[in-house]
Amino acid sequence: MQPFLKVEKLVKGYERKNVAGTREKLFALDGVSFAVAQGTTLAVVGESGSGKTTLGFCISCLEIPTSGNIWFEGRDIVALAEAERRQVRPRIQLIFQDPSNSLNPRWSVQEILLEPLTLQGNLEREETQQRAATLMAQVGLSSDMFQRLPAQLSGGQRQRLAIARALALEPKLLILDEVLSALDCSVQAQIANLLMELQRTLGMTYLFITHDLAMAAHLADEMVVMNRGRVVEQGPAQKVLRHPTEEITKQLLAAVPSLDSAALPPLES
Amino acid sequence: MPFFFRRLSHAFFLLVGVSVLAFLFTTLAPGNYFDEMRLNPQIAPETVAALRAQYQLDRPLPVRYASWLNSLLHGQMGFSFAYNSPVAPLLFLRARNTLLLTITATLIAWGIALPLGVWSAERFGRLPDRLLSWATAALLVIPDLALALGLLVFAVRTDRFPSGGMTSLDFESLPAVGKLRDLALHMTLPVAALVLSALPLLIRHVRAAVAEVLNAPFMLAARGHGIPRRTLLYRYALRAAANPLISLFGFSIGALLSGSLLVEVVMSWPGLGPLLLESILSRDLYVVIGGVLFSTLFLVSGNFVADILLYWADPRIRTESGAR
Amino acid sequence: MRTHHPFAKWLIILGALHAIVVCAGFFAPYDPIEQDRKNPYLPPMQLHLMDAQGHLHLRPFAYALKLREGTFDQYEQDTSQLVPMRFFNSGAGYRLLGFLPSRIHLFGSVGTRICLLGTDGYGRDQFSRLLYGGQISLLAGILGAACTLSIGLCVGAAAGYFGGWKDDALMRVAELFLALPWLYLLFALRAFLPLSVSPLKAFFLIVAVIGAVGWARPARLVRGIVLSAKERDFVRAARGFGASDSYLLRRHILPETSSVLLTQAAILIPQYVLAEMTLSFLGLGVPEPAPSWGNLLSNLQQYSVLVSYWWMYLPALAMVPFFLGYLGLASSLQERREPYKIERRSPESLA
Repeated sequence: MQPFLKVEKLVKGYERKNVAGTREKLFALDGVSFAVAQGTTLAVVGESGSGKTTLGFCISCLEIPTSGNIWFEGRDIVALAEAERRQVRPRIQLIFQDPSNSLNPRWSVQEILLEPLTLQGNLEREETQQRAATLMAQVGLSSDMFQRLPAQLSGGQRQRLAIARALALEPKLLILDEVLSALDCSVQAQIANLLMELQRTLGMTYLFITHDLAMAAHLADEMVVMNRGRVVEQGPAQKVLRHPTEEITKQLLAAVPSLDSAALPPLES
Repeated sequence: MPFFFRRLSHAFFLLVGVSVLAFLFTTLAPGNYFDEMRLNPQIAPETVAALRAQYQLDRPLPVRYASWLNSLLHGQMGFSFAYNSPVAPLLFLRARNTLLLTITATLIAWGIALPLGVWSAERFGRLPDRLLSWATAALLVIPDLALALGLLVFAVRTDRFPSGGMTSLDFESLPAVGKLRDLALHMTLPVAALVLSALPLLIRHVRAAVAEVLNAPFMLAARGHGIPRRTLLYRYALRAAANPLISLFGFSIGALLSGSLLVEVVMSWPGLGPLLLESILSRDLYVVIGGVLFSTLFLVSGNFVADILLYWADPRIRTESGAR
Repeated sequence: MRTHHPFAKWLIILGALHAIVVCAGFFAPYDPIEQDRKNPYLPPMQLHLMDAQGHLHLRPFAYALKLREGTFDQYEQDTSQLVPMRFFNSGAGYRLLGFLPSRIHLFGSVGTRICLLGTDGYGRDQFSRLLYGGQISLLAGILGAACTLSIGLCVGAAAGYFGGWKDDALMRVAELFLALPWLYLLFALRAFLPLSVSPLKAFFLIVAVIGAVGWARPARLVRGIVLSAKERDFVRAARGFGASDSYLLRRHILPETSSVLLTQAAILIPQYVLAEMTLSFLGLGVPEPAPSWGNLLSNLQQYSVLVSYWWMYLPALAMVPFFLGYLGLASSLQERREPYKIERRSPESLA
């Protein structure tokens, strides 16, 4: 059976002019391959600069890879023409890390939410209003926020809005690029639960990009560890966490803060 | 020093580009010096045609540009129809006068703006600073034309300063000290006009740049170390503010050059300004191009100097571009 | 956080000043072109409320001027001829806002004219010429600024958005324009266009020339904004929803430039009015008989005028309230945009 999403030897190179004036080539992705089954969550973990975000951008058609294949629902989206890629776009959506950057601060909540629907131009006026209300309800926001500006919402509310916007086009694959990293701890838990709930009710597949191993452990079925544009370790999440083979994985694990009661100083009596 | 050569070649190409641009404009020019001659019934049309051919006005543009470049290499820069002489000697004399004015004004303006700006930044937000801000605003809203003309009216009505020109009629007969004094007297009003028009913006920007540096955490730390105020100001703050200030310097040269054009015309100072105006009105093509190029040369040179100063003053630029 | 808007206050002040100039026909007592060769170079007439006999008049008045004995151009007040000022006077016909015919002026007189700023060499009332001249100078400045900002917006947006060689090429051209001192460039451009044209043609010529000179700085500013806006995630997100380039520019990127453009407008307009004044003063701008603030001053180039008729200088100060208004507007706009930075703007953005 064809996997839902399959990435094969993905390469993405950038040319950069450094300050001395010479060009240098950087490889954000250097031969990445993995597969995702439908309805599951794959966590992509690694440090900053490991290429996770570039991976997300390539899969969501925001960037075009230098070489390699991305098989989605049986088709290679890298090889598609722009017109056909347009058809595929609604089915893969990416949610960004910082909602204060991913939501236009001058637009109202309503305009932000309706943007994907307006752009795809499928629905009638009343239908879009209906859809907007439904989306807000799905993420736990109230419809009387429609006229507010993003600055008037809390961090958690903004990220919920970003999620609602991403759901507008009924995607099948959702790429979550560090969506919890910009939030406070307690809010992180709420949003994480919301995401899990949505996955259950809407049957979506998640690509969860993060550097937070603890969160990945909580949410993911499978895990892929990236370092410098390459996949260094992959497998079922629990297996990778309990029996890491690579050095980088061990380092990431060691970086997870934990509360060891034995290490705490004794209480004064 | 690759930085030096890069900036130099950059400046050079800029000048070439401007000269091409200026030449391109000439193709748009309707009417030329000889049209007026043609209208004069006393001059035979054959003479006009012969003169046109002599001055190569009938050749295509690239040929004209090439022959102008050629004359440039021979130190001539084309030919003036009105003065009936090569353009270069005309320009050099006028350019020297313009430089005299502009450089003096630059030195004086910065000599006032730097200390005032620093003084103001130290007292940021307090009454003396606010008063100075009001004063500079008041000066800023007086248009340059009004300033120059106003000074001229003042000169004429008080009779203390000469109302124009660079030297008095009996200049040649004066002793050396007298000559200097005469020159200075004639320079006073034009330089004053230039300085007054440039001062407000300069003071504002110096104040802003220094104020921002004074509020930086490293300054607070330095003060905490007990470093004396004067050292703090001049060795720490000014150095940190050098970057925007040097850029400001480059910019101020352009502004002063433009300002000098107007001031020279108003006060009859024999610089590039009146020459340019005159040659525009009489359609003396090569003088116009030469004048524009000279002024560009000054501006580009000034900016080049600013770049070098920046390289010398700001270690970040040195490491970024040199030590690779 | 301040809740009142100083920006609005400046807009109101500027609006009032501009309204006076726009309705020059109403505020000016006399026709600006009407000559009176018998009364050249009259000095400004003073208004009085108390006459020579010590009586108080309700209506301000002026004394007619007569030539002083033994001189041919020096005037003094003729206390025997009282000229009262009439308000809402019916005078020379004009068209309010260009189309409403009217004869009512704010103030005026019957018979002998009350010339608040004196007259020029042809006996034309300077005050009226000042008001009408403002129309031309201000309009030239505003239209020129609109021109420059349009060009700068297009070039900057194209350079910033498309990047690559187009960006390099456009910015090189911008550098060329910036390498010339602006007044020299203005003159050079003006030089290569016909010198003696009708006032209307001259006006549009000047607007085009002024507009073409200063586009490089705004273009660089716009380019900077577009470059950073392009990388914002909401632009990426919109692209992910299938947005086209023109949609992104129109709805997300260009709106980011609005505040910079407004600030630039507030800075450029007075500069451009000054540019028009300079050109007209030197005879390269709007020609006679159309009044402009520049050519009102052009006869100050004659020594005799400088010495004897100092009041001809006064129109030079007409710009001052406008400059003040625009300066205040620009400052308050920049405050709004960067309220936490201590006035840190590059010289590029301020001039």
